[in-house]
Amino acid sequence: MIDDLVAAAIHDAKNALLALDVQLAAAECRPASADFRGARGQVSRIATDLARLLTLYRAQQGRLHVHIDDRDLSDFLDDTVAELSPLPAHLTLQVNRDSAMQLGAWAFDAYLVRLVLLDALRNALRHAAAWITLTVERLDGEGIAFVVSDDGDGFPAAILSGAADASGDGSTGLGLSFAQLIATSHVTPDGRHGRLELKNTPGACLTLILP
Amino acid sequence: MDLRGKRGLLIDDVADMRAALRIQLTDLGLEQCDMARNVKEAIEHISHSRYDLIVCDYNLGQGADGQQLLELLRRRSILPRSSAFLMITGEAGYEKVATAAEYAPDDYLIKPFTAEILGMRIGRIFDKKAALQPIHRWMGEKGDPAKALAACDTMLAAGGRHALDVLHLKGELLLEAGKAAEAQALYENVLQQRATPWAVVGLARAELASGNDAQARQLFEQALETYPSYLAAYDSLANLLAKTDKGAAQEVVEQALKIAPSTQRTRELGSLALENKDFERAESAFKRVVEKDRSGFFKSHDDYSSLAKTYVEQGKTSEALATVKDMGSAFSRTPALEARKAAVEAQVHAKSGNPAAAQAAIERALAVGKEAQLDLATSLEVAQACFAGGRAEDAKTIIQAVAEDHHENEAAIAKAHAVFAAAGLEDEGTVFLEATRKRMIKLNNDAVGMAKAGKLDEAIAMLTEAANRLTNNAQIALNAALALLMHVHRHGPDLARVTEAHRYILQARQARADHPKLPEVAGFYRKIAPPDAPPLPT
Repeated sequence: MIDDLVAAAIHDAKNALLALDVQLAAAECRPASADFRGARGQVSRIATDLARLLTLYRAQQGRLHVHIDDRDLSDFLDDTVAELSPLPAHLTLQVNRDSAMQLGAWAFDAYLVRLVLLDALRNALRHAAAWITLTVERLDGEGIAFVVSDDGDGFPAAILSGAADASGDGSTGLGLSFAQLIATSHVTPDGRHGRLELKNTPGACLTLILP
Repeated sequence: MDLRGKRGLLIDDVADMRAALRIQLTDLGLEQCDMARNVKEAIEHISHSRYDLIVCDYNLGQGADGQQLLELLRRRSILPRSSAFLMITGEAGYEKVATAAEYAPDDYLIKPFTAEILGMRIGRIFDKKAALQPIHRWMGEKGDPAKALAACDTMLAAGGRHALDVLHLKGELLLEAGKAAEAQALYENVLQQRATPWAVVGLARAELASGNDAQARQLFEQALETYPSYLAAYDSLANLLAKTDKGAAQEVVEQALKIAPSTQRTRELGSLALENKDFERAESAFKRVVEKDRSGFFKSHDDYSSLAKTYVEQGKTSEALATVKDMGSAFSRTPALEARKAAVEAQVHAKSGNPAAAQAAIERALAVGKEAQLDLATSLEVAQACFAGGRAEDAKTIIQAVAEDHHENEAAIAKAHAVFAAAGLEDEGTVFLEATRKRMIKLNNDAVGMAKAGKLDEAIAMLTEAANRLTNNAQIALNAALALLMHVHRHGPDLARVTEAHRYILQARQARADHPKLPEVAGFYRKIAPPDAPPLPT
């Protein structure tokens, strides 16, 4: 019952955000303004937060459907970056499109994986000192790996030691359990699952491996 | 992305959303953009104009959705392959669009999105359409599969970023052309490099085409387990199972419906359940089909007929008669509707022990059939009513006409056979239909023999008589045209006969555009038709 209310509230909030986005878009047309672009970035962030919550809720109800199908990897990276709000002036984002072009396509759920990567990228935006990278590479025998890394202070020790399930930071906890869920929901006919890897290099480095 | 000079159509039932999307499209340079608020307006626009781009919201009101609309457009071949179709969906509708199997849109976009992202996606669709055009131009009804395959090979040799889409198309084309071994090699090659659902399902289809039903079944089941949202696997598996185990087929369709709603699959569920005598399931399925769609575009006479029969089987006579009445108000009045209503009503009365009412309804149905030419499904319904009312001779007369008209059409003959089977006359039906088929072959052979023996006038008389009666029989029409052209060839220019031949070629094309003899006869026509004869469109 409560769960249903949560779901209803999420839907409602999403619809409200949608309307807000239309208005902001209209306002943005008049004088170009960084504030409006920032506001739209927030809208998109809240929308993905809610979408993520909804996905977790579905998974808990046993109703999560993962739509695995071929995606062109460079198109996928372009789409992901396009959803990110403009970067602050002191940061650069390097996207390795060349390796994506070489790899061509891979079969995965673009919608859910994009939510994972957007969350990782937004975290990186908050913690990076100067740069963030987004790459995709082939892992022989395993599949492909999406890697998001930055030059910030890295993940807190508690998260790296595997306490990702209920870490103090609520938003990170939600993000990581979501990423974990999406990784393991990707399966191949021979039974290989995806997985998530976190490490500090020394900045935070999140790797999502898809079979 | 610059949409200047392009022509667009925007389909959304919510005025605010239409306005917001229109602004975004204007930002991208689109000047010419028509608007449709519902399915009816959308179909009207698309039937009359050629659009470069169609942007359609998933939710269209009246119990209809964009996916149903797209399916209808593609099935009726109203939508040219060159038109880009982009589906817009909220997060809730996304699953339904993402899982669309056979009739997927060119791309889909989840709300909210910026004009920039919209432009990026549209640009990508246009790029892909342009890149695949050398293959697409040889696909479809009037295409040439060999040339399409050759174009695939040329593009694969050149490489490029659409190589994967080319592989997809090549696999489908190989399967359609009956080249199962080559298709199998293609899919196996892809799967050696990585796991992906379309190749698993393709491989299963190739096994099926080679007659390896057991292997195919195993692969489909594997696909279902690994990729539970990949609906193409359910459809193929259900088709395969329906041949041997209708109960299992029904279960698979039910599973697919849990992933995403679909009118077509709900209808299939109803039909399977009806055959399995699972009347409760059949009733709820057909009810959903007729009740959900308030636009009236996605349901058919068949759906009401099946629902009425489901009620009758359960002894629910008044519900069955109410369904016949509902059918009358759901569609515009045509002879086919009147005949269908009377024929279904007759079956309801016959089954519920009211023979007088059944006979009266049969008379009405037969009267309509005398006045107007009825389509295949309606004719067979009237035949079924005749059997139910104990009028086997009337039933056979109708079925014979249908079978002669469609003697080369296996699906139609199977439907005719099902009418015999429903009346408990399966064996008699087999013999009857086989005799009809043989008679048609003999008629064609006799006429060709006469023509060869120089008795052209007799051959022409025989074939034109049959062609005027059997307008859906492409072979008869083609032979009639051929005999007329042979006459002209032998006895010199004769515009009347050439014009008559022209009409029969068009009749054959209308009946079956891919008839193997059509190109030959059309070629002969072009060779000997005088300059003032009507031209044959290509």
